[in-house]
Amino acid sequence: MRIWMHEIRLLLRARLALTALILLGALSIASIVAGMAEISRQRAAIAAIAAPQTQDIAAIAAWVDKSKDAGSAAYYSFHPTWDAPSPLAFAAIGMRDVSPYILRVRALGLEAQIYDGDIFNPELALPGRFDFAFVLIFLTPLFVIALFHDLVSGEREAGRARMLLALPGANRTWARRATLRFALLFLTLALPFAVGAVLSGVVIGSVLAILGAAALYLLFWIMVTLLVGRLGWSSVTNAATLAACWLVLTLVLPTLAHVVINRSVPVDQGAEIVLAQREIVNHAWEIPREETMRRFYATHPHWANSPPLGPDFHYKWYLAFHQVGDESVADRVRAYRAGLERRDRAARALGWVLPSVGLQALLTRLADTDLQAQLAYQDRIRSFHRRLREFYYGYLFTDRPFGKDDFGRAPKFDAASLDRG
Amino acid sequence: MSPAYLIARDEIRLMRRNRVAMVAFVLLLLLTLAAVVTSWSHRQSIADLRQRHQAAAEKAFDTQPNRHPHRVVHYGHFIFRPLGPLAAFDPGVDAFTGNSMFLEGHRQNTANFGDVRQSSLLIRFGQLTPAFVLQAVAPLLLIFLGYGAIARERERGTLRPLMVQGASRGQIVAGKFGALGLVALLAGLPAMLGFALIAGQPGAQGLPMLVIALGYAAYLALWAVLILLTSALVHRSRDALLALLALWAVLVVLLPRVAPDIASAAVPLGNRMQTDVAVARDLRTMGDSHNPDDPHFAQFKQSVLARYGVARVEDLPVNYKGLLGMEGERMTSALFDRYAAQSFDAQERQNALVHGVGLLSPAIALRAMSMAAAGTDFAGHRRFLEQAEAYRYDLVQRLNRLQADAVSYADDTAEDPEADRRKRVSAGYWQKMPDFTFRQPDGSSLAAAALPGLAVLIFWLALAAGALALVTRRLGAR
Repeated sequence: MRIWMHEIRLLLRARLALTALILLGALSIASIVAGMAEISRQRAAIAAIAAPQTQDIAAIAAWVDKSKDAGSAAYYSFHPTWDAPSPLAFAAIGMRDVSPYILRVRALGLEAQIYDGDIFNPELALPGRFDFAFVLIFLTPLFVIALFHDLVSGEREAGRARMLLALPGANRTWARRATLRFALLFLTLALPFAVGAVLSGVVIGSVLAILGAAALYLLFWIMVTLLVGRLGWSSVTNAATLAACWLVLTLVLPTLAHVVINRSVPVDQGAEIVLAQREIVNHAWEIPREETMRRFYATHPHWANSPPLGPDFHYKWYLAFHQVGDESVADRVRAYRAGLERRDRAARALGWVLPSVGLQALLTRLADTDLQAQLAYQDRIRSFHRRLREFYYGYLFTDRPFGKDDFGRAPKFDAASLDRG
Repeated sequence: MSPAYLIARDEIRLMRRNRVAMVAFVLLLLLTLAAVVTSWSHRQSIADLRQRHQAAAEKAFDTQPNRHPHRVVHYGHFIFRPLGPLAAFDPGVDAFTGNSMFLEGHRQNTANFGDVRQSSLLIRFGQLTPAFVLQAVAPLLLIFLGYGAIARERERGTLRPLMVQGASRGQIVAGKFGALGLVALLAGLPAMLGFALIAGQPGAQGLPMLVIALGYAAYLALWAVLILLTSALVHRSRDALLALLALWAVLVVLLPRVAPDIASAAVPLGNRMQTDVAVARDLRTMGDSHNPDDPHFAQFKQSVLARYGVARVEDLPVNYKGLLGMEGERMTSALFDRYAAQSFDAQERQNALVHGVGLLSPAIALRAMSMAAAGTDFAGHRRFLEQAEAYRYDLVQRLNRLQADAVSYADDTAEDPEADRRKRVSAGYWQKMPDFTFRQPDGSSLAAAALPGLAVLIFWLALAAGALALVTRRLGAR
């Protein structure tokens, strides 16, 4: 034990090592604080939906109540959906800064609504967020390099290496020093994260998984530094070589791979879905209304008993052609999504080779802030939208009046994300 | 031959003998070339794709059948943001903003389908563009090649003999700077080749390109000075390397990420739902077009009747419903403009904060300058959004005007089986509607927008050069 204490004293007496550890600790604390602040802003925005939404609906209800027209209610009522952040989201913001986490939809064509974004400042999103994932993936390797690049070469340059090697248990000296540096680095990262995770109520399994991944990532970089150290170069050559490795592994290769993936997996642009859907929806005004209804009833037979259309405008026809418009682009929607998922899979596969990419993929997956989480949110919006449509159809296709109280009966979005994380 | 030249030549020879450095240099050249080529072809394919989509959207709009003008208000129009030629050098926020917009009456939609939501997680690691290589990677290469320039001489005790042989301190530092400057120049060359490609494009503007070239030259020169400064100040070359790596990590990697977090915490930005609800609420307080007794619309009706000197809307020479549509659109658009201006202002303030941090990090100043000159910064996106809104408003009001003039009030309110046909106006009108053309700002205003960033860089360069001059005077002193 005494020799360990001695090594700690030796390490912390070196100005470089001490500064590096303090700096890394400060950075990881700052990243945790920044991430938690961002997530609490997002939670506050979600909590703030209810009040203005109630006012909005009350105002619409007040005048729809005069006509009791379910169609007007469906046309004018926007229903909120939201994607609550998981407890772990503070550690890896992922796509949550560029994808909407609040989206209001109405019972019209969903394909014209679901790709809408929220307001965000693109210049702030461009460099990426300062979160724990960033500190871990981008900055930590630099600290590993600072602490490990002269582990052996430093002693050689100080003229002590031969003496150390001559002592009994020389190999254990290096192992002990490496373990000590690893442990200090790991604790500097893990403690702030663990505190943040406990404060955010992350389940223990996720905490352990991330700590394990962080330890492995540290070990990877330590292995790289030890391998380079074995080449017997000077400390300064080691440092330069390692910095170059860092540059290639965390910046150059991922950006190159991004170009390659987007090239080799072309995604049929989402804009084409929206253009096609609009044509079909608006075409309904040019063809006999019965034709639209026939197509609608073919896929929704349970409304087929609805009375035939009269000469006047009827919202059930309006909503029907919106639904037909959505259904007629379903194949394109599937293909678009499949393309996005293929790109995502390709990047994940790359993660097995590039630890930086693999760790980012793992962190955003555990934090539910990646593309999969976005697509899952879209799925929840789709299923909510289905319920919304059926709700209004229940009035429109049976010509039931839609009064003030019926607004309160509309389906409520079920976040269904509370049990995650 | 001047001593400075000899020292520079010697330094270059030493760099060429350093095999690791040579490999790094060649790799950087290859990387820049790859960035130039992929960035160029990426911009080309995006520009083509958007042009194709724009043409398809215009064709769809122009070939609409006979329709009631208000149907066309809801049919709306799609527009796509074109990408300027300089985006091949620095695409800026292009991938992070939507690039297509659906324009319709009564509503203001978001710009959708940005690359960031259509790509894998790798996009958040940065994009391989000439700008990225010059901003982030090139300084690192200069560090590798130059950290030891002076520290090494001192460590090996060759600095004093050099001075004894008659080289002045200034000549030594000048020679080292010359060598490092040459490397910087060579590193920037492939990106400048990309510039030559861009210059041949239609719409390429000389002035912003000149400002960009100046900015990057100042940035790389600044790094060369910082490297020599550190190398002269620090006693061991290893310490010089570590200090420079730390400086690079802070200026290029850390601060650009921290600044946006500070900005978004300091200046809150309203979300879309808040804006939508607020617009609807304000509209209701201004006047409710659904309410026949609403004071605002009652007054509007009276003023219209008075202007035409008739007693009933049926007697108006124009279709009152079209006029009503124009009035409603005028009111909603005024609100859209007001809330959009608020949001833009908040974002400008956030960006101003980030640019304030740019006083500390020349990398931020350079990035801001480069995007501004390329027209791919937030201001460029805002230009698109504002022109899109102006076009939307004009188009919708033209259609409302058409309803007022070409559809009679009697037809518009009729409900007989033939009424639908009579309400429609001829398809010829759609082709007469103007198309959206994005007006790029002229070169001098783009260049002017980049000047603050350029000023920060030059200020830094002057400061660092002054410090280097001071340190040079005491070089080699014990």
